[in-house]
Amino acid sequence: MVPDGETSITQLRRGVLEFCVLALLRDGERYSFDLVRALGEAEGLVTSEGTLYPLLGRLRREGMVQSTWRESATGPPRRYYRITQDGDAALRAFASQWARFRDSVDTLIEVGATA
Amino acid sequence: MTPDHLHPLAEDYLRRLRRVCRRLPPERLGELSAEIEGHLAAAIPPGAGDDEALEVLERLGPPGDVIEAERSAVGGSADRRRWRERAAVILLVLGGFAAGVGWLVGLVLLWRSRLWTTRDKVIGTLIVPGGIATALLVVVLTGTKRRCVGFAAVDPSTGAPVGHAAMHCTPSAGPSAASTALQIALLLFFVLGPLVSAVYLARRARDRSGFIGPGLGGYGQLST
Repeated sequence: MVPDGETSITQLRRGVLEFCVLALLRDGERYSFDLVRALGEAEGLVTSEGTLYPLLGRLRREGMVQSTWRESATGPPRRYYRITQDGDAALRAFASQWARFRDSVDTLIEVGATA
Repeated sequence: MTPDHLHPLAEDYLRRLRRVCRRLPPERLGELSAEIEGHLAAAIPPGAGDDEALEVLERLGPPGDVIEAERSAVGGSADRRRWRERAAVILLVLGGFAAGVGWLVGLVLLWRSRLWTTRDKVIGTLIVPGGIATALLVVVLTGTKRRCVGFAAVDPSTGAPVGHAAMHCTPSAGPSAASTALQIALLLFFVLGPLVSAVYLARRARDRSGFIGPGLGGYGQLST
C-alpha cells in the first residue's frame, strides 16, 4: 500500500531531524535549550520540543555529539552540545546526498506539473 | 532537586515526567529530568503568569510524548546491545549443560550488563547456580539406590565361571513418602527456579532498556 503524503512527509522528517541537529552544531557548541528552541521554531519540523532531548541522548550515545554540563548563575546546570568528528563526517555525507535527492525530487515534481 | 524559582505548573510537569519515566535507568532518568528542568527554568522567567507557563509546556509536549521518544531513541541503541542480555539469560538457564562453562559465561555477561541492578544480578546468580543442569545433578545424586547381584554358572571341578554372567538389580529399599516429596520439591525448584529467574531478568532488561518493542516509530511528535 502506498502511504499517504502526510505519512511520507512525517517519515521524511524523522529521517532528517538528526542531521538538522548536527547542522545547528556545525558552527560551535550550543546550550541544549537554544538548540531545542531553534529546531522547534523551524517551520513545521517539530511540535513537541521535549521529544528532542531523547534524540540528543541518542546522538550522544552514538558518538555524533558530545556534551558538557556547566553551572549557571541563573538556574540549574546547563548542558552544552558540540559536534564530534564522526558527527561532522555523517553530516557532510548526508548533505551531499540530500542535495542530489532534493534536486531530483524537485525536477520530477516540476516535470510532472508541466506534463 | 526542583529549584524554588520554577513555576508551580513547571514543577507539576516535572513530577509527572519523573513518574512516567520511572522505569528508565536511574542515571538516564536523572539526565533527562535535569535537561528538561533546565529547559523549563530557561523558558519560564521568574514571576511569569500561568498563561506563559502553559504556552511553554504546550511547546514541550506532554510527558508521555517525551518517554515515547526516549523509548524509541533508546530502542535503536538497545537493539545493538540486547544480544548480550539475551545470551546471558539463555546461558544462565541452559549453559550448565556445557560442562558448566556456559553458565559461567552467562554469569559474566549478567554482571557486566548495565541494564540490571545489583539485586537483579544477585537473583540471577543465586536462582539457580548452574541453571537447569543442576536439576539433572540433583536427580543423579538423590536417585534411588539399587542393589545388584551377579549370577554365573560355575564348573564344579574347577570352580571357574562357565557361560555368560547375568546381573539382577533390585531396589535396595523403597523411598519413604517424605523423601519422595522432598525429591520432587527439589526437582521443581531446580527446574522452575532458573526459568522464573530468566523471565524476571528478561522483563527487567526490557523495562530498563526502555524498549517496548517495534512500532513506536521515531519521533512520533513531529509535526504533520
